[in-house]
Amino acid sequence: MMIHIGPEKIRLDEMISRSKRPDVGAIVTFLGCVRDDGIEGMEVESYEEMAQDELSKIEREALSRFDIRSVDIVHRVGRLSIGDDIVAIVCAASHRKAAFDGCSFVIDELKLRSAIWKKELLKDGGRWIP
Amino acid sequence: MKVRIIAFASFREILGKEVEVDLTAGKTLRDLLGQLEEGHPRLHEEVYLPSGDLKETTIIMLNRVNIDSKGGLDATLKEGDELAIFPPFAGG
Repeated sequence: MMIHIGPEKIRLDEMISRSKRPDVGAIVTFLGCVRDDGIEGMEVESYEEMAQDELSKIEREALSRFDIRSVDIVHRVGRLSIGDDIVAIVCAASHRKAAFDGCSFVIDELKLRSAIWKKELLKDGGRWIP
Repeated sequence: MKVRIIAFASFREILGKEVEVDLTAGKTLRDLLGQLEEGHPRLHEEVYLPSGDLKETTIIMLNRVNIDSKGGLDATLKEGDELAIFPPFAGG
């Protein structure tokens, strides 16, 4: 299992490979990326210690609520361009329903509870996303 | 006594990433914000509603616990306290 917050590019293929084990038959991934809403790019910032702690809690909750084998979460910080990956979640289970449910739960909770902020960068400044 | 403030997102743009403030003993969080406003006049508008209440978009943690459960702005500070101030989360 892995939780990581940092500026590095997300290696989704490696995350998927790490999730594979003999009892895993379904891997669901969520990949969030920077959408072109007329912006120049995005700046992502985190209160890393707090976000890491909360993401660990979310991971533990997902493992106890759903019949899943693992959850990996990677969230980027720093300056990102249109199309860049922002966040990846990889949820592995024996069967697909639990993998879908677990992955959906993790991204919903991450958005609500993790100490991470995004700023849309515009030609004439920027705007923190509320 | 010294208190450390770490700020994120819109609050970091006003205060900087980290500030250390020297306060006299017995001061409250409200006093600390008042002292910070002296050097950072934009802070008041970012933190408070015109009524003087905290905006819903102002989240303050004292030693990693939300101040709502610690007496709000009337919480008394002590040496070494760490305050974090930020807007609602928006990751993902």
